[in-house]
Amino acid sequence: MASEEVARDVLQRTFVKGGRYWQAVAVLAVVFLLGVVGFILKLGDERAQWGYFAATFSYLFTVAQTAPVVSVALRLAKNHWRRPLARASELFAVVGLFNLLFFIPLLILLPSIEGRNTIWILGVWPSRFYTPHIFDTLALVGLVVLGLLFLWTAAVPDFAAAREQRGGRGRYAFLALGWQGTARQWRIQRALLGLLGGLYFMDVLTTHFLISSDFSMALVPGWVDSIYPTFHALTGLQAAVAVTIVTMFLLRTVGGYREYLPMESFWGLSKILLAMSLMWFYFWWSAFITFWYGRLPVEQNIIQLIMFGPYRPFFIIGFLFCCIFAVGLLIWNPLRKSPAAMAAIAAMILVGGFFDRMRLYVASWSLADTTEHELTKVPAAIWPQVPDLLVIAGGLAGAVLVYMLATRVVPVMSIWEMKELRLYQVPRQLVRRRMLSLGKPE
Amino acid sequence: MANQAVLGLYRTPEAAADAVGNLQQAGIGHNDYEIMTGVPYPEGTFGEPPVRHKLYVFPFMGAMIGLTLAILEGAGTQLAYPLVTGGKPILSVPPIIIISYELTLLGAIVFTVIGIIFESRLPRPALGVYDTRITEGLIGVVCTCPEERVEEVRGLLQRAAAIEVKVGQG
Amino acid sequence: MQDRRTLTDIQVNETLTNTVLKTPLLWYVILAFMGGIVMLGVVAVGLLVNMGQGLNGYNRPVMWAFFLTNMVFWIGISHAGVMLSAILRLAQAEFRRPATRAAEVLTVFALATAGLMPIVHLGRLWRAYWIFPYDFSRGIWPDVRSQAVWDPHAISTYLIGSSLFIFVALIPDLAVLRDRTTGIVHSIYTMLAMGWRGTVRQWRLQAIAGIILSALLLPVFVSVHSIVSWDFSMLVGVPSWHTTIFAPYFVIGAVHSGVAGVITVLVLMRWLFGWHDYIRREHIDSLARLLFVVALAWFFFFMLEFMFGLYHQEGTEMVVRELWLFHAPWNAIFVIFILTAFVIPVPLWLFRSVRRSFPLMFFTTILVNVGMWLERFLLIIPGLERKHPFTFSWGEYAPSIFEITIITATFALVATMILLFARAFPLIPLGDAKEARVLRDEIRIGRRTVQAVLREE
Repeated sequence: MASEEVARDVLQRTFVKGGRYWQAVAVLAVVFLLGVVGFILKLGDERAQWGYFAATFSYLFTVAQTAPVVSVALRLAKNHWRRPLARASELFAVVGLFNLLFFIPLLILLPSIEGRNTIWILGVWPSRFYTPHIFDTLALVGLVVLGLLFLWTAAVPDFAAAREQRGGRGRYAFLALGWQGTARQWRIQRALLGLLGGLYFMDVLTTHFLISSDFSMALVPGWVDSIYPTFHALTGLQAAVAVTIVTMFLLRTVGGYREYLPMESFWGLSKILLAMSLMWFYFWWSAFITFWYGRLPVEQNIIQLIMFGPYRPFFIIGFLFCCIFAVGLLIWNPLRKSPAAMAAIAAMILVGGFFDRMRLYVASWSLADTTEHELTKVPAAIWPQVPDLLVIAGGLAGAVLVYMLATRVVPVMSIWEMKELRLYQVPRQLVRRRMLSLGKPE
Repeated sequence: MANQAVLGLYRTPEAAADAVGNLQQAGIGHNDYEIMTGVPYPEGTFGEPPVRHKLYVFPFMGAMIGLTLAILEGAGTQLAYPLVTGGKPILSVPPIIIISYELTLLGAIVFTVIGIIFESRLPRPALGVYDTRITEGLIGVVCTCPEERVEEVRGLLQRAAAIEVKVGQG
Repeated sequence: MQDRRTLTDIQVNETLTNTVLKTPLLWYVILAFMGGIVMLGVVAVGLLVNMGQGLNGYNRPVMWAFFLTNMVFWIGISHAGVMLSAILRLAQAEFRRPATRAAEVLTVFALATAGLMPIVHLGRLWRAYWIFPYDFSRGIWPDVRSQAVWDPHAISTYLIGSSLFIFVALIPDLAVLRDRTTGIVHSIYTMLAMGWRGTVRQWRLQAIAGIILSALLLPVFVSVHSIVSWDFSMLVGVPSWHTTIFAPYFVIGAVHSGVAGVITVLVLMRWLFGWHDYIRREHIDSLARLLFVVALAWFFFFMLEFMFGLYHQEGTEMVVRELWLFHAPWNAIFVIFILTAFVIPVPLWLFRSVRRSFPLMFFTTILVNVGMWLERFLLIIPGLERKHPFTFSWGEYAPSIFEITIITATFALVATMILLFARAFPLIPLGDAKEARVLRDEIRIGRRTVQAVLREE
């Protein structure tokens, strides 16, 4: 397909959506409204009952707000095969905005640090006891803003293309910021993408660190697990890759972008997904073996609380789906070369990821007293009630809804990057063998 | 009747590919000729069929053997000398997992290396018809054929601009 | 932009086998010097065996000290090899080509040296074989529940695996040497090359072998340093060691020091053997970028480790951080460690001119390894000095001259072994250097020519 056709085709698909798209939007909107009902029903519940709500927040943060990192990291590595999938992963930044809805109630429910020994020893207005509330809000809001800026910067040339198609007026004229595509503008855009990408990456790690510590680990007395924030971030990256694969597959099958998304992109991501799934085991095992070996009573209780005790079914599903089954399937080349199989495995990992978040967050939120020195007794399991299920379903549906609506505005395929790909990827003949020449501009 | 080996030496990969083409056209089977280079060219550069091998079986075999040995060691030694240390159960599973991990990979690595050597058809006691200039950049096409076809093959190799053709015992 | 020259196969053979076929005089000089230091180390070990561990600076409660610090350091260096060559092979990165063999060789010799350290540390080192499950007659078996048994399993797996990895990749080069030597040397290379002829099948299997072995060695590489870290972190007796992040923290630290070590070795090789056409500015530039990312990741883990020591404000952990920050000589060591491992070199690597300068990269990578040695020292000793909750059982440690001699000798030992290897085998894979030429391409875009690489479709 020629370069001009790419722009026309992608913009056409962005502006005009079919009947199935609007049907899906309607269904998702209904489920989201049911979630709102569930939330209203939950008002007035004790803190211990909000575990599933916290898990949903953490899951959306893990999946959607980590997803742009896929684009950032592959851009830094200068891969050619990331071009077709870059936008699909960046676009998840808009879900971050939606996730703030979940953050606000949790912020109100989060207990102050009064009476606890914590790392928050600095005093910050309005009271030192609310330091985590302030820093976590800053980090999360910062992440949302950075994500949207990154998306905007990456999409400006495409907005300009849309502006031309729409006769130079309307919302695209604003979004394109007067982009003309001069050499200077391209240089600035490239530098900005690098800068914002780097900041986003760092803020993702920081936010994972803060959310996992303050909203999960710190609520369990005596749980000092220095690898936990990294485990949290790693599972986030795994989910980010998985959700990108699922999105790519949907774009390929129902979105009509079959020609744009080659097997190579799935193949490239599949290797990363395999590495992440192996590291899932590694990071989990590093924590487990230290607690298992040490035999300290508090560590034994924590293993019980988050792994083998009341939430054992959740743990086993998460462990099998995200790690054992994932690795067992992903080592087979034929599966990794099949987009459908990859999408199925990625979907399984996303399901496993939700169970993993539930075992961690429901367990941490279920403890009544956060000021004890050590966890001495593992509380009984809290199973989800009808409002919890409604909130979970509504939260997930709302996130997908926001993403789908965003594809109406932002082209889900990066037009300028697809054009750039055509410059740097040229077929060549090496004696009797057809090869591909990949240009590496410095 | 003894088979003979005919070796044509070429300066460029194009010439070597022509020689391979000539041999294929003359109906010589893929198992009867080999291309020797000092550089790894991408598969199919000379128009030869893809290499078939069973290398992937070896690591699995090795892994199974390593795993078995590891479980024997990990579980066997704990049961054979039942001494409680650090309050851990007599038959502790996590250490067995660690030992199994190492020995499984060790088995897989050792068997892969054996597999590579075996599948590369090494060790080969005699080099046969060979030229040391191959490691200096020339490309050799060697064809094994019955004695009566030697002249025909020599012609086929020569036609593709060989700089030299050698004949020896195959 | 890129200082490449097109070289013929004959030129490649000639330059890259020059260590084997005509050895520079400097080689003998350096070997003699390094060999001398190794001998001093051997004498020191001999005295330790003869007169006992009292010669060391051990003092209750510090009974793990210089030797184990050095073991962790060398294990760390050994991590560069396979990490670099395996990950870069799997990622098909072009800049790996001159670095793979040197990195793998550094792995094997650093690992062998690291393996010596706990044996020296044992005291009765002639009983080192007790670690093996060999005793069928008395029925006494090593305790596999102990990390001290996991460790030899991991190290030997890694040592055997990476040695085989080197051997497999060496076969084509052995054939080149076979074709270029005569006499007894020729018969040795003939035997080692096993009849390699460079057929399409053999090269294809080499490529597949590279992928399978890389994929198998990567998990081993991660496990080795993790298990070394568990030697410390499993123990509840030293509270500052008992933390869950130790495994990945050690691994990333190892990669940090290891990649730095590989760059140091590459710069030295270029200078000593004159391989200017093979080890080029763009290669160390790419390696330095990789190192930059690794250094940032390492710093992230370091911060986690440091902060989680403070997380719960437990007394036993706080005293160790206090020792690091406020008490001489530990605060001085801490400052030097942070400056050399991170603060000085990492911002410098932001500059392209630094990344492309051989002397500056040599200097900064040496700094990193000074810092990383001190890091291990800081992790191990202060934790032991303050392992008890009561002040009357705290202690101090300073190394004796014997320990210092042995540690110095290990550096000379690794250098000696690499020099000896270079005398017998090429340090840059010849086939890789030649393949780079076959796959090199250019794309014209308007007036600009972009460097390109051919890939299988």
